[in-house]
Amino acid sequence: MQIVVLTKVVPDYEVPSADFELVEDRAHPRYTRMIGLYDENAVELGVQLKEKLSAELVILSYGVSDDVQFLRKALAMGADKIVLVEGTSDDPYVIAANLKMAVDKMGGADLILAGRQSSDMDRGVVHGLLAGMLDYPFIPQACSAEQADGGWKVAQITETGKRLLKLSGRGVLSITSIPENVPRIPAVKAIFAAKKKPVEKLPEIAAARMNVRELSVRIPKMESVCELLPAEDLEDTARVLLRRLKEERYL
Amino acid sequence: MGRVPYWNISYGLLIDLLSLPAMAVFAYGIYGHWQRIKQGKARIGPGMTLDAWKVGPVYLRALLVKGILGSRIYKKPCTGLAHALLFWGMAALSVGTVLVFLNVLFGLAVFSGGFNRWFMGFGLDLAGVAALIGVLFLLARRLFPPERLTLFKTNSAFVPIEAAIVLLIASGFVIEGLRIALKGADPGSFVGNWLASLLVGVGAAPLIHQYLWWLHGLLALSLIAYLPYSPLAHLLLAPVNAGLDIPIPGPKMGVIDFEAFDGEGEEAPCLGVGKMADFSWKNLLDASTCLQCGRCHEVCPAAQTGKSLSPKNVMGTLGDYLQQGKMDDDSLLDSIGSDTIYSCTTCSACMEACPVSVNQPNAILKMRQHLLMERSEIPEIMGQAHRSLEARHHPFIGTGFGPNDWRKGLDVPIYRKDETTYLLWIGCSVSYEERTQNIARSMVRILKSAGVSFGILEENRCTGDPAKQMGNEFLFTEIAGQNIEEFAALGVTKVITMCPHCFNSFTRHYPLLGASFEVVPHAVLLRELIQSKAIKLANSGATICYHDPCYLGRHNDVLADPREVVSSLGQLVEMPRRGCESFCCGGGGGNYWTEEEGTRINQTRAKEAMDTGASLIATACPFCLLMLTDGLKKYTENAMIQDIAELVCNQMEA
Repeated sequence: MQIVVLTKVVPDYEVPSADFELVEDRAHPRYTRMIGLYDENAVELGVQLKEKLSAELVILSYGVSDDVQFLRKALAMGADKIVLVEGTSDDPYVIAANLKMAVDKMGGADLILAGRQSSDMDRGVVHGLLAGMLDYPFIPQACSAEQADGGWKVAQITETGKRLLKLSGRGVLSITSIPENVPRIPAVKAIFAAKKKPVEKLPEIAAARMNVRELSVRIPKMESVCELLPAEDLEDTARVLLRRLKEERYL
Repeated sequence: MGRVPYWNISYGLLIDLLSLPAMAVFAYGIYGHWQRIKQGKARIGPGMTLDAWKVGPVYLRALLVKGILGSRIYKKPCTGLAHALLFWGMAALSVGTVLVFLNVLFGLAVFSGGFNRWFMGFGLDLAGVAALIGVLFLLARRLFPPERLTLFKTNSAFVPIEAAIVLLIASGFVIEGLRIALKGADPGSFVGNWLASLLVGVGAAPLIHQYLWWLHGLLALSLIAYLPYSPLAHLLLAPVNAGLDIPIPGPKMGVIDFEAFDGEGEEAPCLGVGKMADFSWKNLLDASTCLQCGRCHEVCPAAQTGKSLSPKNVMGTLGDYLQQGKMDDDSLLDSIGSDTIYSCTTCSACMEACPVSVNQPNAILKMRQHLLMERSEIPEIMGQAHRSLEARHHPFIGTGFGPNDWRKGLDVPIYRKDETTYLLWIGCSVSYEERTQNIARSMVRILKSAGVSFGILEENRCTGDPAKQMGNEFLFTEIAGQNIEEFAALGVTKVITMCPHCFNSFTRHYPLLGASFEVVPHAVLLRELIQSKAIKLANSGATICYHDPCYLGRHNDVLADPREVVSSLGQLVEMPRRGCESFCCGGGGGNYWTEEEGTRINQTRAKEAMDTGASLIATACPFCLLMLTDGLKKYTENAMIQDIAELVCNQMEA
């Protein structure tokens, strides 16, 4: 059994907005790079499934060669190998086509996991496009999966709760975070062992771009509006606070 | 005519012969301790040069002061006095017994003249009275124990032993009284002479004397033989433990050489401690020496605020595992519990309170290293901070500030090789939290005003200390390595720290990784600047209560300097728990990033500071400042707490 986790290396997604700056419409290269927030949840779920099912866990990424040093964290968490398609495109179609090429080379995958959205572009489209290209079913916002009758029983987070779905064969899941898939901190021996695990680099293939053009990128202006509430009677203050939060649609 | 040894006793020398098997059993007991302790691994040496008298592995001053004189036992005066009376009383009586033996064998003239009157008579009676008072107090305390003695584990073996010592001393006096009643008064033996006056005319006195003499002798030999197998073993183990303890405060964690691990992969040796066999011999000696007196429990901030951690219970569990020979039993950490292990703030109050020099935090941190580096176990919020430290080299998750935001609008010089004298180390704690950024800004203004040549690094990062405290020695080594490399490239020789955790790491751990630079905590530098009149302060006369940060005070003995700074600013007010006995703010050991159970430590300490009635609270640690600022919110809306650098900056005269 082969499980693949789509993993993207992104600039630090916690850079405070006051400190955030763009270079050529992308985050400044001075920011630390790391595996995307939800991608780490997907890796964690992948590792849990690998441990349970004795599957092979492959980290599949589209990016530059320097990303390998950050992707090794996934190996330290428990993945078996990295497959990196070397490319620099930001276009979801191009990325999905290249990921498909890599999956095809592997001979397909029993399950493909990916973070629900990348932590830099926040688009959340590549995994859906990949599912379409592979002709696999796609379940967004999944949080857990277990093997059942040759397929997968998948829990999906909805706005109001959790829904259980049955996937009868292969599929692509976009993973959202829940306490059960908080990424583990790799054990030190696993970090050392990760240095020896294989990394396969594939050249990019040409693919058609999406028919969407980026016109501009803008950082939202930080605004802080302060409103002081009277605090003579704390119960009353709490009531006023609740009303104001509702009025401003924060609640 | 002088006293005749073994008077009225036939074959009295038998008791001397019986002392040989007693001593053999005694020696075998000691050998048993040695066998258990030597199973431990080698320990890691101190990260600093020590100016200490040392013979082989033994630190003589610690052996004498802490081990033999038992300096720490007197922190509880009554118990301390009782121990002193019993120990020194019994020591004198033992000397007396040896002298009698030498008299019998070699005719040493101890029963004549002034020596007989003042030592063999008066001195030994006084020693007997002292020992009797001491042991009666200790027995009463065991029969009506304070809570600390009975929590988790009661060392019940003390009661029969103490009762036996009472019997031993009392029988000795009665034997002496009967002898004097039958033979005539002894010069100086005030107890014996008094008892003799009560025993004159007792029928069968010679027979009673004989029976009691043998009972006394056999009881004494039994106690000697039993000593290493009983809690009385602390008589021997405590001085040994004190003499072998590296005489610097704090857990003394050292560093791990990870280069040895490279290429080993999964075959690399175990990290931290997962079972008793992973501990160093010093940890095992600690576990053997611990008497379960519970003084550590009484001062532990976690134990005193309802957390699962009790250093007494941890040491008790280690002692049990060691005693039962469960050296390779990997249930150890689960027996103690992950929450317990992570509750330790590493404040080391337990070590400071321990009368027998046990290093509890060292054992706890080693188990924490295993939990994190081998089992990837860490509490959730601490784990988030850890992940941030790993990825961003600072642990302040969700901060709204970039690394240079603290110096916006402030002209701060960058450290230049061969030009700048001091590196002002910023680190993480004064960069990423709004409240503490003012410490760094204040320090910059003070240094500029004093004309000190200083600069900062272009990119500031953490020392890695939080990783070390959370148990990830690997991450600490990685971050420290980068810092050391950068310092070397810049030719940094003098560093100013504002965070005691950074100071501690730079002085204790960095040298073990190859660093070589002087470090001065800002509290010391500020005192020097004030003393040299490089800065002038207006004394406001306000009452200022000073909170000792654990890593500045207890861990590094920087107690007087910040107090002198505070005294230059206003009127120093002290809290009941201060100096080396200070109470932690709750933020140490990575617990700044935790969801506390029970009463919050920072609120407990904030209340103690508030109760002094001081108008301001000062400290010298960004973490203490943050913790106590938060703790104070329960009691007041006033921003009462400031770092000493902020206070100095505010009261600096132009």
